[in-house]
Amino acid sequence: MKRFYLFGFLLLMGFDTLAQISFKYAGTQALPVEASLAWLLRVFGQPWVYGAVIGYVGAFFTWMALLKHAPIGPAFAASHLEVVSVMLLSVWLFGEHLNLARVLGAMAIIAGIVCLGLAESREQATDATSATAQA
Amino acid sequence: MMPAAGAISSVVVGLWLLNIVLDTGGQLAFKAAAGDEHAGDGFARWKHMAARPWLWLGIGCYVIEFLVWIAFLSLIPLSEGVLLGSINIVAIMLAGRFLFGEELTRLRVLGIALVTLGVAIVGIGG
Repeated sequence: MKRFYLFGFLLLMGFDTLAQISFKYAGTQALPVEASLAWLLRVFGQPWVYGAVIGYVGAFFTWMALLKHAPIGPAFAASHLEVVSVMLLSVWLFGEHLNLARVLGAMAIIAGIVCLGLAESREQATDATSATAQA
Repeated sequence: MMPAAGAISSVVVGLWLLNIVLDTGGQLAFKAAAGDEHAGDGFARWKHMAARPWLWLGIGCYVIEFLVWIAFLSLIPLSEGVLLGSINIVAIMLAGRFLFGEELTRLRVLGIALVTLGVAIVGIGG
């Protein structure tokens, strides 16, 4: 069962990462940004936007399945830690630079996500204990 | 054309704010859909959810957010964009606190503060 969760978390991160990379490619190819039909046609007229759709839909169904079965804390963390994979990939794929602000900001955000994941885990443990006590 | 580091235009800020509203609205709608205890299991669960507005409201928010996010990311570097987007976590937690009375434990407040601090550092320093 543990292996099932781990696979689910990695799948969720993978779908989220695919979506973000595809969003960036799709947006860049549809520039300039306008509130117009022409912009929508540019967005949907190239393949990357469909990579984003696949990532989005895949992440949605993986998340719904995980929410029902997996411990919520790790699931929560897994659903947000794609910032790490996306940042690293954006250096490689888009030649972006990780300046000090981005690295420090990312560290604070990751620490925050871990705290929130731990808080969810603790709450779930408390719920389980009180449910056992009531039974 | 990339905007200079630290110089974030008002269009980018507007798209960022719109994304927060749509993401929070969508997540809360999905929570309402998935948290229904009378929904049953398997296919019946999906059928039950499809017959109620929450799932569709959530999908509607996400479809618009999809376009907003593409526009947002096309204007700033992806590494900066995903970090700034992390503020959605904070917005959803606070919305859960006010709408569903979810408890903000000390650990959760610490998490919210750290994520907010990180987003502020990225927003100010690029």
